Amino acid sequence: MGNLSTVGHLTWLHLLQSVLPVVLGTLISIPIARFAAGRRARGAGGRRGAGRVRRGVVVNAAALLYTVPSLALFVLLPLILGTSITSLTNVIVALTLYVVAMMVRSCVDAFESVSPEVLDAGTAMGYRPLRAFFGIELPLSVPVMAAGLRVALVSNISMVSVGAVIGIQSLGTLFTDGLRRDLMAEIVVGILATVVLALVLDRLVTWSAAALTRWQVRA
Amino acid sequence: MPETAATAIEFAGVTKRYESAVAVEDLDLAIPAGLITTFVGPSGCGKTTSLRMINRMVEATEGTILIQGEDNRDRPAHELRRSMGYVMQQAGLMPHRTVADNIATVPRLKGASRADGRARALELMDTVGLDRKLAKRYPAQLSGGQAQRVGVARALAADSPILLMDEPFSAVDPVVRTDLQNELVRLHEQLERTIVFVTHDIDEAVALGHRIAVFGEGGRIAQFGTPEEILRAPADDFVASFVGRDRGLRRLTFASGQELPMHPLEGGTASGLERPWAPWELLLDDAARPAGWRFGEREVTGGTLFTPGGSLREALDAVLSSPSGWGVAVDDAGRAAGLIASDDVMAAAGRERRSRYGVGE
Repeated sequence: MGNLSTVGHLTWLHLLQSVLPVVLGTLISIPIARFAAGRRARGAGGRRGAGRVRRGVVVNAAALLYTVPSLALFVLLPLILGTSITSLTNVIVALTLYVVAMMVRSCVDAFESVSPEVLDAGTAMGYRPLRAFFGIELPLSVPVMAAGLRVALVSNISMVSVGAVIGIQSLGTLFTDGLRRDLMAEIVVGILATVVLALVLDRLVTWSAAALTRWQVRA
Repeated sequence: MPETAATAIEFAGVTKRYESAVAVEDLDLAIPAGLITTFVGPSGCGKTTSLRMINRMVEATEGTILIQGEDNRDRPAHELRRSMGYVMQQAGLMPHRTVADNIATVPRLKGASRADGRARALELMDTVGLDRKLAKRYPAQLSGGQAQRVGVARALAADSPILLMDEPFSAVDPVVRTDLQNELVRLHEQLERTIVFVTHDIDEAVALGHRIAVFGEGGRIAQFGTPEEILRAPADDFVASFVGRDRGLRRLTFASGQELPMHPLEGGTASGLERPWAPWELLLDDAARPAGWRFGEREVTGGTLFTPGGSLREALDAVLSSPSGWGVAVDDAGRAAGLIASDDVMAAAGRERRSRYGVGE
């Protein structure tokens, strides 16, 4: 049964291609979103003209990125990066871009969900900006950020499969291979493995977020 | 009322100008050390802006603010802020930190260890009357009154002689608010901090303030003085209208009711009449405390009580709220001590008025 080890190997590759871009994309999105959300403490006088424009430009640019077809990006990126089409780097960079496209919006919403009074209280207590960001703003934006992260993660898991079309190994390979050899069982295994992967990772994110937000009152 | 000692905070020619409007104009004000000074005025009068300029949450456009003689711009803003307590509306607690961690915020920012911060937090919970069992709760699990006490404890943790309070009790219900006000007066007597308290409620300003700064439109001070001075002699029509229609009544808060003639419960002597409150009859419980009034077969709940050292306002209220029209005075133990006649209260108010204006009896 070499099949099982093949599925295991493909699952590992799939996991790598879906998780790594989500982590990288989120880390890139946080500073971009924080810049777009602007200063929000009370006394900052609300969002003035310049701040609103900045937010609009950043959020819409991110959304625009998402409209580039994934297959086109897989083919185009090697021309820019100088990698081969089937390299893992290629896929990871492409998918990271998609995660950024989704997470920038989520992170902007997340930062905007933090009460300005609480940020104001932080300033009044004598927090300096950097410590206020890591000690107050970031932890309080976890609930909204986690919701965005779940969507990005699950949609990324399905997007990884597309890479198989151009020969990048993942659970998607089971679809292309099964289709070519007319093996229904192989396709079904591919679908099941992908769904299980998505469910497990989604639960993991939900649990971690819950652990980080015990302060929220649950009914 | 404690005597005026030194100046704790001094505004010298302070102006705050925004692009389109002036929030505070050329403010000169000396806030006495060790007293509660209230900033009161309608919304948009610059009282909160003035408060926030003290710890540089808002930077003044012109002028200087001296904190114990030192320009508040001489230190980095975050250090200045850690050196004063700040209590805000809605408490402004960190929702993701426990009660103890919230209270320990400033000590921790100053570098105290986790254990020291926690020990200090527990002490302060006792000081503000919070059950230590609440230490591990999150703010969302507290009532409004509890959250506000945590806010006060957090401000006290700064261990500074100055406490800034920005409409701290405006979001809690009236009963809890009265509790918190009494608590603040008690804390002040115990800790002797300089407190600057912003409120839009003149009653709160009068109840708490040793000094009141009445802010008028456009961020200027319409009057600065003791509550009594402001109620007795409003500087202008604006102050008169702001202190309100009840100010005649409020003024009686500052007139002692100690000289009021006390009519003995048995009747006779003072009035020369046999029980002038008849046919009403005062009921007493086993401990000789007032327990309402009887009129023939009917028993009616009594009114408010006049306590030893009470003001004329308290005496007048005791008279007005009593079913018989006679106010009930009690001693320190709550036992009925005598009755007060409405004519005597009015006469005392008249004497107080004549002496205030220096007109002879």
